[in-house]
Amino acid sequence: MTNLEKYQQAFCESFNLTNDKLAGLKYQDVPLWDSVGHMNLIAQLEDAFDIMMETDDIIDLSSFEKGMEILKEKYDVKFD
Amino acid sequence: MLTGKNTVITGTLQGIGKATLEYFVSNGANVWACAQRKDDAFEAYCKELEAKYGVWVKPVYFDLTDADAIKAAVKTIQSDKQLVDALVNIAGMARDAIFHMVSMDTMKLVFEVNFFSQILFSQYITKLMLRNPNPSSVVFVSSISAIDGNSGQLAYGSSKAALIGAMKTMSKELASKGIRVNAIAPGVIDTDMNKVVPQEVIDEKIKTMDIKRLGKPSEVASTIAFLCSDLSRHITGQTIRIDGGIK
Repeated sequence: MTNLEKYQQAFCESFNLTNDKLAGLKYQDVPLWDSVGHMNLIAQLEDAFDIMMETDDIIDLSSFEKGMEILKEKYDVKFD
Repeated sequence: MLTGKNTVITGTLQGIGKATLEYFVSNGANVWACAQRKDDAFEAYCKELEAKYGVWVKPVYFDLTDADAIKAAVKTIQSDKQLVDALVNIAGMARDAIFHMVSMDTMKLVFEVNFFSQILFSQYITKLMLRNPNPSSVVFVSSISAIDGNSGQLAYGSSKAALIGAMKTMSKELASKGIRVNAIAPGVIDTDMNKVVPQEVIDEKIKTMDIKRLGKPSEVASTIAFLCSDLSRHITGQTIRIDGGIK
């Protein structure tokens, strides 16, 4: 599984979505992406990429795209 | 009481922390024993405990004033790939002085160690606990100074009071995830921290207690163990005094 697929899977499983709904998705756009759902997503991402996210990054992860940016820049996750 | 519970305990080098480490492993818990500095005697002691009780005891070293060290310690715990059941925040410090003699640097240092770093550490560790389908408990070690006040303990008492406030909020937010959060408030306990207190002050304190003696570290440890065990599974958001009925 590629990193992009892992990343998409974390969102899909956390918020009960399909891949076609992920582009442009923002915090609280769907009912399951509330504060509790956000922490579920973080747990999924930490497990998937074997990382430990800092609190500032958890707060900043406000959209599907922003999350990719944070993982690339701060945690050296490559999506190419 | 704690068989198989994987527990993170801070401040295990001495006093209440060491007694809690002993109490937990003797009741079947596995422990990440956090301490401020690497110590050969402590490493040997952890191995002794492992052999004696058939559990694992993993020393983890970090300084609570160093956020990077805290993060590295959590990474170490995370890399063990074990479920985390419980967290006991014991490490702390005191810098006693009367109100007008307390510098802001002292206030900030005491709050850094007794409050901010413990919240940061708890944020990280409870994230690991959320992956456990059946987590149990977080316990903070506050103090009766936080509740009653105590002359000369502005920094210590107020930092420990802040922990109670945090504990209350955490208990409300984490209950739905199966994590209970409580605090204990020890009174005058027979530890090295209290060895610096003049004996006449200790004697005066003892006179005000219903149980006329100092508390033992093991008596604090057994209350912490109760709060981390299933015996207390309907208790959250509480501060339990362990003070011999001090007035």
